[in-house]
Amino acid sequence: MKIMLNDASHEFVGETLQDLLTQLGKSEQGIAIAINQQVVPKSLWSSTELNEQSQVFIFESIAGG
Amino acid sequence: MSSLFIAGHEFHSRLFTGTGKYASADAMMDSLNASESELVTLSLRRMDLKNQTDNILQPLLQQGMKLLPNTSGARTAKEAVFAAELAREALETNWVKLEIHPDPRYLMPDGMETLLAAEELIKKGFVVMPYVHADPVLCKRLEEVGCQCVMPLGSPIGSNMGLASRPFLEIIIEQSRVPVIVDAGIGAPSDAALAMEIGADAVLVNTAMAVAKQPAQMGKAFKLAVEAGRMAYESGLGEKRLQANATSPLTDFIGALS
Repeated sequence: MKIMLNDASHEFVGETLQDLLTQLGKSEQGIAIAINQQVVPKSLWSSTELNEQSQVFIFESIAGG
Repeated sequence: MSSLFIAGHEFHSRLFTGTGKYASADAMMDSLNASESELVTLSLRRMDLKNQTDNILQPLLQQGMKLLPNTSGARTAKEAVFAAELAREALETNWVKLEIHPDPRYLMPDGMETLLAAEELIKKGFVVMPYVHADPVLCKRLEEVGCQCVMPLGSPIGSNMGLASRPFLEIIIEQSRVPVIVDAGIGAPSDAALAMEIGADAVLVNTAMAVAKQPAQMGKAFKLAVEAGRMAYESGLGEKRLQANATSPLTDFIGALS
Protein backbone atom coordinates (compact mmCIF):
# COMPACT_ATOMS: atom_id res chain seq x y z
CA MET A 1 0.00 0.00 0.00
CA LYS A 2 0.95 3.61 -0.40
CA ILE A 3 1.29 5.75 2.70
CA MET A 4 2.56 9.29 3.18
CA LEU A 5 5.94 9.27 4.89
CA ASN A 6 7.58 12.58 5.77
CA ASP A 7 5.42 14.33 3.18
CA ALA A 8 6.29 11.94 0.32
CA SER A 9 4.44 8.96 -1.06
CA HIS A 10 5.98 5.71 0.18
CA GLU A 11 5.28 2.17 -0.98
CA PHE A 12 4.95 0.01 2.11
CA VAL A 13 4.66 -3.75 2.46
CA GLY A 14 3.55 -4.73 5.94
CA GLU A 15 0.98 -3.88 8.56
CA THR A 16 2.33 -2.00 11.54
CA LEU A 17 4.49 0.97 12.32
CA GLN A 18 7.15 -1.44 13.57
CA ASP A 19 7.11 -3.16 10.15
CA LEU A 20 7.75 0.21 8.51
CA LEU A 21 10.71 0.92 10.77
CA THR A 22 12.20 -2.50 10.10
CA GLN A 23 11.75 -1.91 6.38
CA LEU A 24 13.53 1.45 6.57
CA GLY A 25 16.44 -0.12 8.44
CA LYS A 26 17.09 2.98 10.53
CA SER A 27 18.33 3.09 14.10
CA GLU A 28 15.40 3.29 16.48
CA GLN A 29 17.38 5.19 19.09
CA GLY A 30 16.46 8.84 19.47
CA ILE A 31 13.51 8.80 17.12
CA ALA A 32 9.86 9.72 17.51
CA ILE A 33 6.87 9.08 15.27
CA ALA A 34 3.63 10.91 14.68
CA ILE A 35 0.66 9.67 12.68
CA ASN A 36 -1.86 12.24 11.54
CA GLN A 37 -0.21 14.73 13.89
CA GLN A 38 -0.55 12.52 16.98
CA VAL A 39 2.60 11.28 18.67
CA VAL A 40 2.65 7.48 18.86
CA PRO A 41 4.48 6.19 21.95
CA LYS A 42 7.17 3.57 21.38
CA SER A 43 5.14 1.00 23.30
CA LEU A 44 2.43 1.18 20.62
CA TRP A 45 4.62 0.93 17.51
CA SER A 46 4.14 -2.80 17.09
CA SER A 47 0.37 -2.64 17.55
CA THR A 48 -0.30 0.46 15.44
CA GLU A 49 -1.56 -0.56 12.01
CA LEU A 50 -1.05 1.66 9.00
CA ASN A 51 -3.49 2.29 6.18
CA GLU A 52 -3.63 4.35 3.00
CA GLN A 53 -4.80 7.38 4.97
CA SER A 54 -1.82 7.26 7.30
CA GLN A 55 0.34 10.36 7.24
CA VAL A 56 3.47 9.25 9.02
CA PHE A 57 6.21 11.56 10.18
CA ILE A 58 9.41 10.17 11.62
CA PHE A 59 11.70 12.50 13.52
CA GLU A 60 15.28 11.98 14.62
CA SER A 61 17.40 13.74 17.19
CA ILE A 62 20.30 15.73 15.80
CA ALA A 63 22.87 18.20 17.06
CA GLY A 64 21.51 21.58 18.11
CA GLY A 65 21.92 24.45 20.52
CA MET B 1 31.48 26.22 44.63
CA SER B 2 27.89 25.22 45.28
CA SER B 3 25.89 22.82 43.15
CA LEU B 4 22.97 23.95 41.02
CA PHE B 5 19.59 22.25 41.39
CA ILE B 6 16.92 22.31 38.71
CA ALA B 7 13.73 20.30 39.27
CA GLY B 8 15.56 18.34 41.97
CA HIS B 9 18.44 17.38 39.66
CA GLU B 10 21.90 18.30 40.93
CA PHE B 11 24.44 19.82 38.54
CA HIS B 12 28.06 20.13 39.61
CA SER B 13 28.87 22.10 36.49
CA ARG B 14 27.19 25.43 35.80
CA LEU B 15 28.19 25.27 32.14
CA PHE B 16 25.43 23.94 29.92
CA THR B 17 26.33 23.27 26.32
CA GLY B 18 24.83 22.90 22.88
CA THR B 19 25.80 20.22 20.39
CA GLY B 20 25.32 22.18 17.14
CA LYS B 21 27.92 23.36 14.62
CA TYR B 22 30.75 20.98 15.56
CA ALA B 23 32.84 19.67 12.68
CA SER B 24 32.42 16.08 13.85
CA ALA B 25 30.99 13.98 16.66
CA ASP B 26 34.54 13.36 17.92
CA ALA B 27 35.33 17.08 18.06
CA MET B 28 32.07 17.63 19.92
CA MET B 29 32.77 14.93 22.50
CA ASP B 30 36.33 16.18 23.07
CA SER B 31 35.04 19.70 23.65
CA LEU B 32 32.16 18.64 25.90
CA ASN B 33 34.39 16.37 27.96
CA ALA B 34 36.94 19.15 28.43
CA SER B 35 34.15 21.52 29.46
CA GLU B 36 32.88 19.03 32.07
CA SER B 37 29.34 20.06 31.13
CA GLU B 38 26.60 17.79 32.43
CA LEU B 39 23.67 19.06 30.37
CA VAL B 40 23.61 19.19 26.57
CA THR B 41 20.95 20.38 24.17
CA LEU B 42 19.76 18.50 21.11
CA SER B 43 17.28 19.23 18.33
CA LEU B 44 14.75 17.19 16.41
CA ARG B 45 14.10 17.18 12.70
CA ARG B 46 12.28 15.09 10.17
CA MET B 47 14.34 11.99 9.58
CA ASP B 48 16.58 12.01 6.54
CA LEU B 49 15.41 8.79 4.90
CA LYS B 50 18.17 8.72 2.31
CA ASN B 51 21.27 9.33 4.37
CA GLN B 52 22.52 7.97 7.66
CA THR B 53 22.98 10.73 10.21
CA ASP B 54 26.11 10.94 12.33
CA ASN B 55 25.10 9.27 15.60
CA ILE B 56 25.83 11.73 18.38
CA LEU B 57 23.33 10.30 20.83
CA GLN B 58 25.26 7.19 21.76
CA PRO B 59 28.50 8.93 22.84
CA LEU B 60 26.51 11.52 24.83
CA LEU B 61 24.60 8.83 26.69
CA GLN B 62 27.77 6.81 27.29
CA GLN B 63 29.30 9.87 28.88
CA GLY B 64 26.29 10.16 31.21
CA MET B 65 25.20 13.55 29.88
CA LYS B 66 21.72 14.75 30.73
CA LEU B 67 19.90 15.51 27.50
CA LEU B 68 17.87 18.65 26.96
CA PRO B 69 15.89 18.55 23.72
CA ASN B 70 14.91 21.91 22.29
CA THR B 71 11.88 22.93 20.27
CA SER B 72 13.92 24.79 17.67
CA GLY B 73 12.00 25.15 14.44
CA ALA B 74 8.72 25.83 16.22
CA ARG B 75 7.11 29.13 15.27
CA THR B 76 4.02 28.89 17.45
CA ALA B 77 3.03 27.52 20.85
CA LYS B 78 1.14 24.68 19.17
CA GLU B 79 4.20 23.61 17.17
CA ALA B 80 6.41 23.84 20.24
CA VAL B 81 4.09 21.62 22.30
CA PHE B 82 4.09 19.06 19.48
CA ALA B 83 7.91 19.23 19.24
CA ALA B 84 8.21 18.76 23.01
CA GLU B 85 5.96 15.70 22.92
CA LEU B 86 8.02 14.21 20.10
CA ALA B 87 11.24 14.95 21.96
CA ARG B 88 9.91 13.31 25.10
CA GLU B 89 9.37 10.13 23.10
CA ALA B 90 12.63 10.34 21.18
CA LEU B 91 14.93 11.08 24.09
CA GLU B 92 12.93 9.68 27.00
CA THR B 93 13.05 12.87 29.02
CA ASN B 94 10.36 15.28 30.18
CA TRP B 95 12.84 18.15 30.19
CA VAL B 96 12.55 20.62 27.33
CA LYS B 97 14.26 23.80 26.28
CA LEU B 98 11.31 25.77 25.00
CA GLU B 99 12.31 28.00 22.12
CA ILE B 100 9.96 29.62 19.68
CA HIS B 101 11.45 31.95 17.12
CA PRO B 102 9.36 32.77 14.10
CA ASP B 103 11.94 35.08 12.53
CA PRO B 104 14.97 33.29 11.01
CA ARG B 105 17.05 36.46 10.65
CA TYR B 106 17.43 37.50 14.27
CA LEU B 107 15.96 34.37 15.90
CA MET B 108 14.23 36.55 18.47
CA PRO B 109 12.10 34.44 20.80
CA ASP B 110 8.34 35.05 20.71
CA GLY B 111 7.48 35.80 24.32
CA MET B 112 3.71 35.49 24.01
CA GLU B 113 3.78 32.11 22.30
CA THR B 114 6.45 30.96 24.76
CA LEU B 115 4.26 31.79 27.76
CA LEU B 116 1.28 29.96 26.22
CA ALA B 117 3.38 26.90 25.41
CA ALA B 118 5.01 26.91 28.85
CA GLU B 119 1.64 26.82 30.60
CA GLU B 120 0.45 23.91 28.50
CA LEU B 121 3.68 21.92 28.78
CA ILE B 122 3.77 22.33 32.55
CA LYS B 123 0.21 20.96 32.72
CA LYS B 124 1.44 17.99 30.70
CA GLY B 125 4.21 17.33 33.22
CA PHE B 126 7.25 18.79 31.46
CA VAL B 127 10.20 20.47 33.12
CA VAL B 128 10.20 23.65 31.06
CA MET B 129 13.32 25.72 30.46
CA PRO B 130 12.20 28.68 28.36
CA TYR B 131 14.58 30.59 26.08
CA VAL B 132 13.40 34.19 26.12
CA HIS B 133 14.43 37.77 25.61
CA ALA B 134 16.01 39.38 28.67
CA ASP B 135 12.57 40.62 29.70
CA PRO B 136 12.17 40.79 33.49
CA VAL B 137 8.35 40.90 33.31
CA LEU B 138 8.12 37.86 31.05
CA CYS B 139 10.64 35.94 33.16
CA LYS B 140 8.51 36.59 36.23
CA ARG B 141 5.37 35.41 34.41
CA LEU B 142 7.15 32.24 33.31
CA GLU B 143 8.23 31.60 36.89
CA GLU B 144 4.65 32.12 38.07
CA VAL B 145 3.22 29.54 35.65
CA GLY B 146 5.73 26.98 36.92
CA CYS B 147 8.86 27.08 34.77
CA GLN B 148 11.77 25.47 36.64
CA CYS B 149 14.22 28.12 35.41
CA VAL B 150 14.42 30.92 32.87
CA MET B 151 16.91 31.25 30.04
CA PRO B 152 17.20 34.90 28.99
CA LEU B 153 19.49 35.76 26.08
CA GLY B 154 22.71 37.74 26.30
CA SER B 155 22.51 38.70 22.62
CA PRO B 156 21.21 37.03 19.43
CA ILE B 157 21.90 33.29 18.98
CA GLY B 158 25.33 32.64 17.50
CA SER B 159 26.21 36.36 17.40
CA ASN B 160 29.12 36.18 19.89
CA MET B 161 28.12 39.67 21.08
CA GLY B 162 28.19 38.77 24.76
CA LEU B 163 25.95 40.28 27.39
CA ALA B 164 24.35 43.09 25.37
CA SER B 165 21.30 42.69 27.63
CA ARG B 166 23.28 43.03 30.87
CA PRO B 167 21.19 45.66 32.70
CA PHE B 168 18.05 43.56 32.14
CA LEU B 169 19.79 40.33 33.06
CA GLU B 170 20.71 41.96 36.37
CA ILE B 171 17.06 42.81 37.05
CA ILE B 172 16.00 39.25 36.16
CA ILE B 173 18.67 37.78 38.44
CA GLU B 174 17.68 40.08 41.28
CA GLN B 175 13.96 39.21 41.00
CA SER B 176 14.01 35.55 40.10
CA ARG B 177 13.22 32.74 42.50
CA VAL B 178 14.11 30.10 39.92
CA PRO B 179 17.58 29.59 38.43
CA VAL B 180 18.58 32.06 35.70
CA ILE B 181 20.60 30.59 32.86
CA VAL B 182 22.09 33.07 30.43
CA ASP B 183 21.70 31.60 26.98
CA ALA B 184 22.76 32.79 23.53
CA GLY B 185 25.39 35.25 22.41
CA ILE B 186 28.11 34.22 24.85
CA GLY B 187 31.12 34.52 22.57
CA ALA B 188 34.10 34.38 24.90
CA PRO B 189 34.97 32.88 28.26
CA SER B 190 35.03 36.43 29.67
CA ASP B 191 31.33 36.80 28.74
CA ALA B 192 30.56 33.59 30.63
CA ALA B 193 32.61 34.72 33.63
CA LEU B 194 30.79 38.07 33.65
CA ALA B 195 27.40 36.35 33.56
CA MET B 196 28.41 34.26 36.55
CA GLU B 197 29.88 37.25 38.41
CA ILE B 198 26.59 39.16 38.15
CA GLY B 199 24.83 36.19 39.70
CA ALA B 200 23.55 34.01 36.86
CA ASP B 201 23.09 30.43 38.02
CA ALA B 202 24.48 28.92 34.82
CA VAL B 203 25.27 29.74 31.20
CA LEU B 204 24.55 27.85 28.00
CA VAL B 205 27.31 27.96 25.38
CA ASN B 206 27.36 26.43 21.93
CA THR B 207 28.75 28.41 18.99
CA ALA B 208 31.80 29.79 20.78
CA MET B 209 32.98 26.30 21.68
CA ALA B 210 31.88 24.53 18.50
CA VAL B 211 33.47 26.86 15.96
CA ALA B 212 36.77 27.36 17.82
CA LYS B 213 39.88 26.13 16.01
CA GLN B 214 40.54 23.97 19.05
CA PRO B 215 37.14 23.08 20.46
CA ALA B 216 38.54 20.94 23.28
CA GLN B 217 40.77 23.71 24.58
CA MET B 218 37.93 26.21 24.26
CA GLY B 219 35.70 23.85 26.22
CA LYS B 220 38.19 23.88 29.05
CA ALA B 221 38.54 27.68 28.82
CA PHE B 222 34.79 28.02 29.32
CA LYS B 223 34.82 25.57 32.21
CA LEU B 224 37.50 27.63 33.98
CA ALA B 225 35.72 30.91 33.24
CA VAL B 226 32.38 29.69 34.58
CA GLU B 227 34.02 28.36 37.71
CA ALA B 228 36.03 31.55 38.23
CA GLY B 229 32.96 33.73 37.75
CA ARG B 230 30.82 31.65 40.10
CA MET B 231 33.52 31.46 42.77
CA ALA B 232 33.95 35.23 42.59
CA TYR B 233 30.19 35.74 42.94
CA GLU B 234 29.98 33.40 45.91
CA SER B 235 33.04 35.03 47.49
CA GLY B 236 31.44 38.48 47.22
CA LEU B 237 32.82 41.08 44.83
CA GLY B 238 33.85 44.46 46.17
CA GLU B 239 31.82 47.56 45.44
CA LYS B 240 32.85 49.88 42.61
CA ARG B 241 33.80 53.42 43.59
CA LEU B 242 35.14 56.47 41.81
CA GLN B 243 37.84 57.42 44.32
CA ALA B 244 40.97 55.47 45.15
CA ASN B 245 41.07 53.54 48.38
CA ALA B 246 44.64 52.69 49.39
CA THR B 247 45.66 49.07 49.69
CA SER B 248 48.94 50.03 51.40
CA PRO B 249 49.06 52.09 54.57
CA LEU B 250 49.81 55.74 53.79
CA THR B 251 52.50 56.21 56.42
CA ASP B 252 54.78 59.22 56.41
CA PHE B 253 58.09 57.35 56.42
CA ILE B 254 59.22 59.12 53.22
CA GLY B 255 58.76 62.30 55.17
CA ALA B 256 61.77 61.15 57.23
CA LEU B 257 64.05 62.26 54.32
CA SER B 258 63.25 65.91 54.76
